[in-house]
Amino acid sequence: MASTAQPASSLKRRDVPVTREGDQLTIIPLGAGSEVGRSCCYMTFKGKTVLFDCGIHPAYSGMSALPYFDEIDPSTIDVLLITHFHLDHAASLPYFLEKTTFRGKVYMTHPTKAIYKLLLTDYVKVSKVSIEDMLFDEQDINNSMDRIEVIDYHQTKEVNGIKFWCYTAGHVLGAAMFMVDIAGVRVLYTGDYSREEDRHLQAAEMPEFSPDICIIESTYGVQLHQPRHVREKRFTDVIHSTVSQGGRVLIPAFALGRAQELLLILDEYWSTHKELQNIPIYYASPLARKCMSVYQTYILAMNERIRNQFAHSNPFQFKFIQNLNSIDDFNDTGPCVVMASPGGLQSGLSRQLFDMWCADKKNSCVIPGYVVEGTLAKTIINEPKEVTLMNGLMAPLNMQVHYISFSAHADYAQTSAFLKELRPPNIVLVHGEANEMGRLKQKLITEFAADGNTKVLTPKNCQSVEMMFNSEKMAKTIGKLAEKTPEVGETVSGILVKKGFTYQIMAPEDLHVFSQLSTANITQRITIPFSGAFGVIKHRLEQIYESVESGTDEDSGVPTLLVHKLVTVKQDSEKHISMHWAADPVSDMVSDSVVALVLNISRELPKVVIESEASKTEEENEKRAEKVVYALLVSMFGDVKRDENGKLVISVDGNVAKLDKQNGDVESEHEGLKEKVRTAFRRIQTAVKPIPPFAS
Amino acid sequence: MGTSVQVTPLCGVYNENPLSYLVSIDNFNFLVDCGWNDHFDPSLLEPLSRVASKIDAVLLSYPDTLHLGALPYAMNHLGLSAPIYSTEPVFRLGLLTMYDQYLSRKAVSDFDLFTLDDVDSAFLSITRLTYSQNHHLSGKGEGIVIAPHVAGHLLGGTVWKITKDGEDVIYAVDFNHRKERHLNGIVAESFVRPAVLITEAYNALSNQPPRQKRDREFLDGIVRTLEGGGNVLLPVDTAGRALELILILEEFWAQRNLGYDIFFLTYVASSTIDYVKSFLEWMGDSIAKSFETSRNNAFQLKRVKLLINKMDLDNAPIGPKVVLASMASLEAGFSHDIFVEWASDVRNLVLFTERGQFGTLARMLQADPPPKAVKVTMSKRVPLVGDELVAYEEEQKRLKKEEELKASLLKQEESRASHGPDNTNDPMVIDTTNSHAPPDVAGSRGGGYRDILIDGFVPPSTSVAPMFPFYENNTEWDDFGEVVNPDDYVIKEEDMNQTALHVGGDIDGKLDEAAASFILDTKPSKVVSNELTVQVKCSLIYMDFEGRSDGRSIKSIIARVAPLKLVLVHGSAEATEHLKQHCLNHVCAHVYAPQIEETVDVTSDLCAYKVQLSEQLMSNVLFKKLGEYEVAWIDAVAGKTENHDMLTLLPTVSKPPPPHKSVLVGDLKMADLKQFLASKGVQVEFAGGGALRCGEYVTLRKVGVASQKGGGSGIQQIVIEGPLCEDYYKIREYLYSQFYLL
Repeated sequence: MASTAQPASSLKRRDVPVTREGDQLTIIPLGAGSEVGRSCCYMTFKGKTVLFDCGIHPAYSGMSALPYFDEIDPSTIDVLLITHFHLDHAASLPYFLEKTTFRGKVYMTHPTKAIYKLLLTDYVKVSKVSIEDMLFDEQDINNSMDRIEVIDYHQTKEVNGIKFWCYTAGHVLGAAMFMVDIAGVRVLYTGDYSREEDRHLQAAEMPEFSPDICIIESTYGVQLHQPRHVREKRFTDVIHSTVSQGGRVLIPAFALGRAQELLLILDEYWSTHKELQNIPIYYASPLARKCMSVYQTYILAMNERIRNQFAHSNPFQFKFIQNLNSIDDFNDTGPCVVMASPGGLQSGLSRQLFDMWCADKKNSCVIPGYVVEGTLAKTIINEPKEVTLMNGLMAPLNMQVHYISFSAHADYAQTSAFLKELRPPNIVLVHGEANEMGRLKQKLITEFAADGNTKVLTPKNCQSVEMMFNSEKMAKTIGKLAEKTPEVGETVSGILVKKGFTYQIMAPEDLHVFSQLSTANITQRITIPFSGAFGVIKHRLEQIYESVESGTDEDSGVPTLLVHKLVTVKQDSEKHISMHWAADPVSDMVSDSVVALVLNISRELPKVVIESEASKTEEENEKRAEKVVYALLVSMFGDVKRDENGKLVISVDGNVAKLDKQNGDVESEHEGLKEKVRTAFRRIQTAVKPIPPFAS
Repeated sequence: MGTSVQVTPLCGVYNENPLSYLVSIDNFNFLVDCGWNDHFDPSLLEPLSRVASKIDAVLLSYPDTLHLGALPYAMNHLGLSAPIYSTEPVFRLGLLTMYDQYLSRKAVSDFDLFTLDDVDSAFLSITRLTYSQNHHLSGKGEGIVIAPHVAGHLLGGTVWKITKDGEDVIYAVDFNHRKERHLNGIVAESFVRPAVLITEAYNALSNQPPRQKRDREFLDGIVRTLEGGGNVLLPVDTAGRALELILILEEFWAQRNLGYDIFFLTYVASSTIDYVKSFLEWMGDSIAKSFETSRNNAFQLKRVKLLINKMDLDNAPIGPKVVLASMASLEAGFSHDIFVEWASDVRNLVLFTERGQFGTLARMLQADPPPKAVKVTMSKRVPLVGDELVAYEEEQKRLKKEEELKASLLKQEESRASHGPDNTNDPMVIDTTNSHAPPDVAGSRGGGYRDILIDGFVPPSTSVAPMFPFYENNTEWDDFGEVVNPDDYVIKEEDMNQTALHVGGDIDGKLDEAAASFILDTKPSKVVSNELTVQVKCSLIYMDFEGRSDGRSIKSIIARVAPLKLVLVHGSAEATEHLKQHCLNHVCAHVYAPQIEETVDVTSDLCAYKVQLSEQLMSNVLFKKLGEYEVAWIDAVAGKTENHDMLTLLPTVSKPPPPHKSVLVGDLKMADLKQFLASKGVQVEFAGGGALRCGEYVTLRKVGVASQKGGGSGIQQIVIEGPLCEDYYKIREYLYSQFYLL
């Protein structure tokens, strides 16, 4: 037991720093920084690390589609939070879980988890890359399922002192915005969100707390959406007129997310228009069919409207929509509506149908959402005269093409209204194309210029953003220690217990009451062979210790000695003495010295010559102490002089400090020096002065 | 000082009556649970009626009658009007339970304590929370945070945690620590050292057989009866434990591929299962997992058939069958009728899965030995015919006339008083009697019309002359002409809620229509009762499938939670007393078991104050890590913060800190220490009396073992003894290494 009873505070004392490393909050986008795709945002504060989302970039393949995981050490991440199931937010998760050193916990909502598995399994099957380029296989996905934990909206979880909970985000089923609270500093990560309620999802909620930082998506930048009912009307009108003229409608859409919203619109429209009910609607996606049961189950994650309808019948059990497995099952005889993936018309069923129908001007193609640059869908929005078919031939594009965006991302009006109500002092923009993001930043800055304190940041990938948070640490003093609230200047001593980010100060006796820790007392009893007279020991001890009290043992009546009020020495028998004491660094030391002393006596070694120390006067002691103090100070500070009042004058680099040896007061202009001298003097004093016996 | 906490039981102490307690936290009154029994005895609610108006919030913990049955009555008749909090399943299944109760009663009696509308309106004011959602109350309750936690027992079951100023009050009744087929158990770790724990003694004296053995006996009993050609009746609750039983049966039937029919018969059976299917988030891990991986919803029932009226059961193919029917008490509902039908056949089996409520038929039958015969009342609602019908119609007519008259008088007075352009109501459409029977509304309205014109030709004294209702279309004019209401010109947003409106205007959702129309039919009808004696020849078995923790586990959970103060409620006097004694001896010194309307003050005597930890102090503190805790000794001086409203702790500067007694922190387990020493090459063995012999001479001993942490002195006393030798110091060093020295 090497440590001493000195308080820990004197062991390591640094100059009081203005800020500490732990107060710095760092945010690094590993993906989706000034781009769309591979969302992944790293955040660390006070030694706790959170990663938001873990997506891939749909435009790249293999390793290059991953976020920049090399920038960080995955093993340090405590929690990974996935906002929703889209590939650009969740698809690198199996890789991250199975192929890196990440050992933290992963959270997502129930619907996200259920769809995540189906979606990624499908993704692995259809992606046509070589085995080496495969980031993960089905087995990895299945393994990852065991490591994913679920969280419900508003449920508060705590991992390693990181508290977090989520709000509905309105983007797709199960989409969440995460609020993370580390030591009182709150960060909101919106993921993809929409503040507009639609047919089945709630709008993104307004959090009840204002965060210190808001990491927000900026997909649509400064654009504005058409109102929902206008879009829906255009959509149903186009379809209605096309099919009533005997044409066919192709809706290329991604299998999950918005497709379900469109199906709800179609199903409802059909049920209110009897004349349409003999016209079939096909939904050509086996994946989506599998996911339907998820939509039919997690009704609670949807809006009030769906929940009310559910009381009547499950709105996701469509009446007018038929499933279509492949083009072989499709009987192209007359007017119909087909919704097929992929949304970009790159290949697959939607492309096959497009090739069949594009030449007929009675037909229509409705593109219902954001389309990625470089796909055929993007090309036909500009209505070219001709298009290239999959077989390489050119064909005239006669079918009508309509672009009606249903994608549930916030537009500028929503974003600015959301931020205005939320009032976060720091805004970090992610998930947006660089130009769009720049415009949004400018516009937000002008809008928030009035309050002046709002910072808007647009970090690029791997560019870190640092912010300082001077968090005040609050502690609660409880139990015996708190019976009296101290006045200013009184001392408070006790055990400081930290759990997560909460601090409590308590008396040692209360430790087991307020925490799950317990304290122990160790009583030590040791027997030493000694055959001399007990009086000899007493005599010797008195020469060393100030306090030696003799008494008799209550049980056996043998004489005892209480040394330094700590250690009891007892004559057990003629041949043995025993000592017992409560374990404590000082008592251990005292007991060691007693042992040494007893052994010395019994070994009859050359007598220890006792200098008549006791006769030494106080004065001499004082003088010697003073000498030592002076010498030590000189060795520390160099230039030390005595002034006329007996004070010591210490000058270092032009700064002068005066030290009063009697009471330890230091006068100096320079705070740092003052503090140093004071500390040095105190330590020297504790080293030089005799150990006082404990009062306790 | 601490937060003031008072607990006043309103119902359900020292007996098994329904639960209802008043918990005041700093004068904010929570009503936790609002239960009623299957007799719907208003006298039980008297204590509640005295305080109902003072209540600021209601917390519900389970979706059964015992925990929320009195809610509609209290909201509509006792003046309870506070916001209510519960989880989504408690809200939904509670609603269904109340419907089932109402419909079962209405079928056999002129039940008038509450109506379906009362139920709807009561449940409308429920705020739904998810598990471990911290809900911050506002207004009077500022600073109070409530959070529901998983409790097991029933779907959505809740242990409430009420927090104010860092002090927790936990309300945990009827919880289950075991994982079941569809539910997770309670997580006792979420509640550590609360200031107050309110729990129940209901099961303190019971012990459960191992689950597997119980399940096997249960299924064997059923199968034996079926094979013997008998029917099995399981009286169950509407939407609680029935779910677990359905899963057990479903699983077993699939395993054995049995052909016998299983029916689940309540007035709301199909809606119950529909809703339950969408509550996967609230169920156990295994159910969630099976859905996530294979989209296999456990409540997609393949064997159990859902019925909502008795006719369907009577029409079912003849042959042995299992029927789960509500109510569990056999006092009303389908189970009552089926019991009467089946009781006299020796081949049949009535299997009780929960203890019947006191004074009910189920409880009587669970007695040992069971009664040979019981008297029951068979009641039936029959339509009125002949003279009775005529008399009824006359009476109705008279009533209606009076009402119409009253209404029109009222109207006239009103219109005289206001005389504004807003008066556009048609007095003809006042129809208070038939608010929830749409098919009849039209007819009765017509009747009412005729009444006024023909029979009721008594012009009110103030009216000028009888005439067709005519209203002057008053328009307001101002300086600019007619006042225009801008709203009239707004292009209406296409309402996507159209469909929602006409299906979901009421929150009740789909009542199983056939059943509802049968009861809600306003066709004049009356209740006919006849008493008969039923010979009980069928076998009766009681097995505990209540899904509550048993006595032993309750004790160990209470010990683990280790509350500073404990309040015991709900449970027979004997059980309450037993648990009280046990806890006094082993858990904590403050155990209360108040009587009805006796207020116990469980304000913690804990002293506490808040301080700020200054940066200067904290930069010098070196924490030592101990599990999830970090500890350090600090010596500090109190000072004021910059804005002078708080104490702050600064490092001691002027003088060296006074020395303090060193503290050893750590939890020593002798067995662990033995292993540790052995791994260091020391010969260790346990000697008698819990002493550990290390090496040849040294002995280690723990004296005055405080087995209950937190109970009595929590300080461990350890003695190390030995002669002066090298071993001694070595072992001491090892022993020290198990602790942290502060």
